[in-house]
Amino acid sequence: MSNKSLEGLKILEMTEAWAGPVCASLMGDMGADVIKIESFPRHSLTRPTSPRYATMPGEGPVYERDALHHQGNRNKRNMAIDIRKESGKEIFKKLLLDADVFIEGYAAGKIEKLGFGWQDVQKINPNITMISIAGWGLEGPYKNMVTLGAGLDATTGHLSLRGYPQGDFVDTHPNFHSDATGSSTIFFAALTALLQRKKEKKGTFIDLSQWEGLVWQFPAILAEWTMNKRIPERLGNNDPHIVPHGVYRTIEEDKWIVVAAEDDNQWQGLCEVIGKIEWTDLMHQYSNIVGRIKGRTEIDAAIESFTKQYDGFTAAEILQNNHVIASPVVTPPDVLLSNQLHERDWHQTVNHKWTGPIMVGGHLWNVEPDTLSWDIPTALVGQHNEEILTELGFDHDYISALYANGTIGNHYEN
Amino acid sequence: MVQPLNDMCVIEISDSIAGSACTKTFSDYGARVIKVEPFSGNKIRRMPPFKEDIPDINGGAYHLSFDTGKESVIIDYSSNSGLEILDRLYQLSDLVIFDTEVEKTKKLRNIINGNNYPSTVSITPHGMSGPFKDRLENDMSILAWTTRMYRNSMENMSPLRNAPGSTLVQIGHTAAAVAVGIYWGQKQDKIRRDAEVAGVEAVLGNVDTGFVSWIFTGNLPERIGGQLKTRYPTGIYPCKDGHVILSANEEPWFSRLCNAIGHPEILQDSRFIEDRENNWQAFMEYLGPYLEKHDKNYIFTHLQEHGVMVAPVLNASDLLDDPQAKARKSFVKIDSAIGEHYLAGAPFHLNKINDESFKLKSAPKLGAHTNMLLNELGYTKEEIIALFRAKITG
Amino acid sequence: MTQPLNGLKIIEIGGTVSVSAAGKKFSDFGANVIKIEPPSVSDVRKIAPFPDDIFHIDKGAVHLAFDTSKRSIVIDHLTNSGKEIIQRLGKDADLIIMDIPVTEAQDLINIFKDGDNLLTNVVTITPHGMTGPYKDRVENDLTLFGWSTRSHRHSIAGREPLRYGPYAGVVQIGSTAAAVGMAAVWSKRNEGMNRLVDVSGVEALMGNVDSGFFLWAVNGALQPRSAGQSSGLYPSGAYKCKDGYMLFSAGRDPVYSRLCNAIGRPDLATDKRFTDPEEKPKNFEIFKKILEDWLATRTKYEAFDELQEQGVMCCPVLDASELENDPQSVYRKSYITRNQDGIGDITIAGPPFRMNGLYSDAWESKPAPNLSEHTTEILQEHGYGTQEIIALFRAGVTT
Repeated sequence: MSNKSLEGLKILEMTEAWAGPVCASLMGDMGADVIKIESFPRHSLTRPTSPRYATMPGEGPVYERDALHHQGNRNKRNMAIDIRKESGKEIFKKLLLDADVFIEGYAAGKIEKLGFGWQDVQKINPNITMISIAGWGLEGPYKNMVTLGAGLDATTGHLSLRGYPQGDFVDTHPNFHSDATGSSTIFFAALTALLQRKKEKKGTFIDLSQWEGLVWQFPAILAEWTMNKRIPERLGNNDPHIVPHGVYRTIEEDKWIVVAAEDDNQWQGLCEVIGKIEWTDLMHQYSNIVGRIKGRTEIDAAIESFTKQYDGFTAAEILQNNHVIASPVVTPPDVLLSNQLHERDWHQTVNHKWTGPIMVGGHLWNVEPDTLSWDIPTALVGQHNEEILTELGFDHDYISALYANGTIGNHYEN
Repeated sequence: MVQPLNDMCVIEISDSIAGSACTKTFSDYGARVIKVEPFSGNKIRRMPPFKEDIPDINGGAYHLSFDTGKESVIIDYSSNSGLEILDRLYQLSDLVIFDTEVEKTKKLRNIINGNNYPSTVSITPHGMSGPFKDRLENDMSILAWTTRMYRNSMENMSPLRNAPGSTLVQIGHTAAAVAVGIYWGQKQDKIRRDAEVAGVEAVLGNVDTGFVSWIFTGNLPERIGGQLKTRYPTGIYPCKDGHVILSANEEPWFSRLCNAIGHPEILQDSRFIEDRENNWQAFMEYLGPYLEKHDKNYIFTHLQEHGVMVAPVLNASDLLDDPQAKARKSFVKIDSAIGEHYLAGAPFHLNKINDESFKLKSAPKLGAHTNMLLNELGYTKEEIIALFRAKITG
Repeated sequence: MTQPLNGLKIIEIGGTVSVSAAGKKFSDFGANVIKIEPPSVSDVRKIAPFPDDIFHIDKGAVHLAFDTSKRSIVIDHLTNSGKEIIQRLGKDADLIIMDIPVTEAQDLINIFKDGDNLLTNVVTITPHGMTGPYKDRVENDLTLFGWSTRSHRHSIAGREPLRYGPYAGVVQIGSTAAAVGMAAVWSKRNEGMNRLVDVSGVEALMGNVDSGFFLWAVNGALQPRSAGQSSGLYPSGAYKCKDGYMLFSAGRDPVYSRLCNAIGRPDLATDKRFTDPEEKPKNFEIFKKILEDWLATRTKYEAFDELQEQGVMCCPVLDASELENDPQSVYRKSYITRNQDGIGDITIAGPPFRMNGLYSDAWESKPAPNLSEHTTEILQEHGYGTQEIIALFRAGVTT
């Protein structure tokens, strides 16, 4: 990896789904040596053994072709170990000896049962940082509850705020915002603990509740209740204080554009483009913010009669050239039409044994002078078993025996 | 216990929620964070809600939540005199976070050179280069670029955003991660780094978008709202007193659910074994009555006892009373410009839940620390007043 | 008792020292004065001194003194939304006084016009007036003073011209605007007509007294630039006494004769050396010695009492520390001490004039407002809804 920021750090990741795996990839992006310890012989949640909607058609094991798995597992090495076995525990203990960070995502209590709770781990390596990322944390009445990101979205109040204003909850798409942000929280937590280690010269344990990692991000939800005893209403795409602020139809069927004018300058720009210059005349009701709030319906109609003449990319270009907030509501294929992303060379072409060369989204950030690169595509199950075990000092025969007795593996049963 | 980042100083120059959300995480763990603000205050101060709906530059919910423990200084950095102050400030700090227009960021970043200066992170909607770099965007228009709004909708109905502000928070949050990464790097190898977070790339490159799945399969996301009726039950279901969210479409969760609601026979029923896709209605004849009969908290605890992934849909009024939040003291009382109120506590704790050293301090009033900071930077009384009169500081 | 200007609504725009001084004239006597301040911070709030030398937007001395009894609202008058608010605030006002650049002022005047019809009284304060080649020039207290001939007058020949106390010029311009504004309010009451008044700072200073212009225009001669003590028509100016200085205006009779009597030298009153206009300037040093010898044995208050007893126009030269304790000020309560939030006790000048006796309550002074203290209250008063008020704040139109 070209980026050296985290060079020299050894990270052990034993997590599934997205928040933990993405975090480990981000560390890999920045030069850490990340080893993903995959469950074996049970397959990971993101590695289905029969095809589902996100599986790339083609040759090879299904569990190596799932998009949901590829999305969070670049830039790591992979081991598949059955750590319920004593021989598996022995390997993992060796890995822990010189590791800097151990991230685990089991339900509360499970890792203790496996013999790798904090009490055990700190005995093996007193300098290590261990992070547990159970949904609601390891302590408290919900510690045994299981969830995905969508459940955290529902219990932090976010779900109650999203959705069509006149709609019902059953019309609201469950989302995984918790995973999208959780990865950065775990990343930050790991580095914070490492900085603490520099001072205190000892390891740290972090009980990270993903619910707590999400809830602070929505201060307005809590404040409406605690300040004003109001439960915030579902707003859809409207904003009570900004007109226009919405999503409008374009010339293409079921394709849309966002347009917003947050102040009088942007409004001026918008009116010039949509041919309503009289709406900026000081004597006109719509020339000012307060007047526009009263005229939402008429204004929205006028904008839509403009946007319906163009596709979303063109309309956004015209509006942006006149200093108006506007963006096409992008569908997955539209991503490849963005000149911006191409010009910035954002997309990464990745060659993987079973997907072949594919163009996927790039990094979350860019760093100078040592830029990021995608050095290890999503690793196959157990792809680096031999390499890592050799580094740990195990010999070839012993490794073969581990395969034979099912301690390690490099494929899942279908 | 000493806070882990207490020897660190972060400068925040931010025009949106993103920059403040980014440095909030540093401040939570003891870093000194200095907000450099214009006379009109950072825009985050203008974000509602406000107590009793009365706008207050020191009392907005986002400001009170995200600016905890920070210092506020007013510097007009469009002037040379302001830049001179910034230069001294940079040299005092370990990290600078920019979240402003590209040209402005370049100007403010240009005076940083040499490894004696801190590393920087620049947050922008589309990045510091490329044809869109100067575009105006907001929380919603950035999300539109990431395929998430499209995914968040029903067929032939308008795409939907997430909660207002949440996209910018995610971008800020991402910036915090890379920031702490390059800070660590600089500590190790003494190399100063400039990181760049383009909002669209940060969100599009992360999970919960439909992009990678489309690359893999060529299929567009199903835009069907809250319930997936082909692979069920997953999504949002009404119950006696509200709604619950279920993720039980796959094994082993599907079997656990069927057992938990007292209908293990479903697992033997050929309609659900061979043709599950087309039998959602039939399945609901089993699940529906169970949900109708029980309230969300019962369903939550009962199904979770069976290992089913389920959660109640809560609203703002439920949060403070949530038993888990209470047990973990997830919300903390704080005294600030608007009096006592509750805030979400720090997102994680080292070693012990709610360690006493992780106390939240209230958000600063606009310009509350200008005088103190100018003193610290070595300006004399007369110079400080001169800068104030010239409207360089406030 | 109601105050004389109760019921008047005055809008002041711009936040300068001039416009603040103008608004104070109205707020002192009970008018409802709304101070509209720019988002870029009012000049008047930036002026030192500050308590403990620590600057603070709400604690500058000039602001504390000039903005008493006003309400503060911050509006960005450059935006259409800001103009709409100003229009709503101003349309039932008795008077709008603004001190902003000419083009901005012109824009705001236009929102108070219905065709050619002016909807309210407007006074503009600008350095050079609303028209002419200099109208867009940027000036300050010092440059305006320079234009008024007073700097030239206030100097010694061959040395640099001087200004008066800082802001003396711009405060005078503000007072001028208040006077003409008051006239406009009066005449509107009587004849129902609104007026547009253009106060140019240079004209207001130059057209008033204490400038050298009028004398020159009459006799074509430049005044001698003697500053301090006049060696021609003396004693005029400051003379040293035991503990400071006395200021004399006693060069002409009958005051000169009274002075001679008072210092026990009635002979000097008829002495040709000092009474003949040709001789008098040549004997300045002699007279000066006599007067200063007399003063040297007296404090300034002793000299003041003795000389004023005889009708001599003279005054002690006082510094800041002496003002508060001046017996006349103490007797009339010329200074008032009041508690200002966040500072403690402060002392400011009291009523500029009294009505119906010394201690009339016609004059009242409430503390100067904190920046934007009344934004929400004023918007509510003018019919803005809760969410509209938040919308304006979010967009940065108000603060």
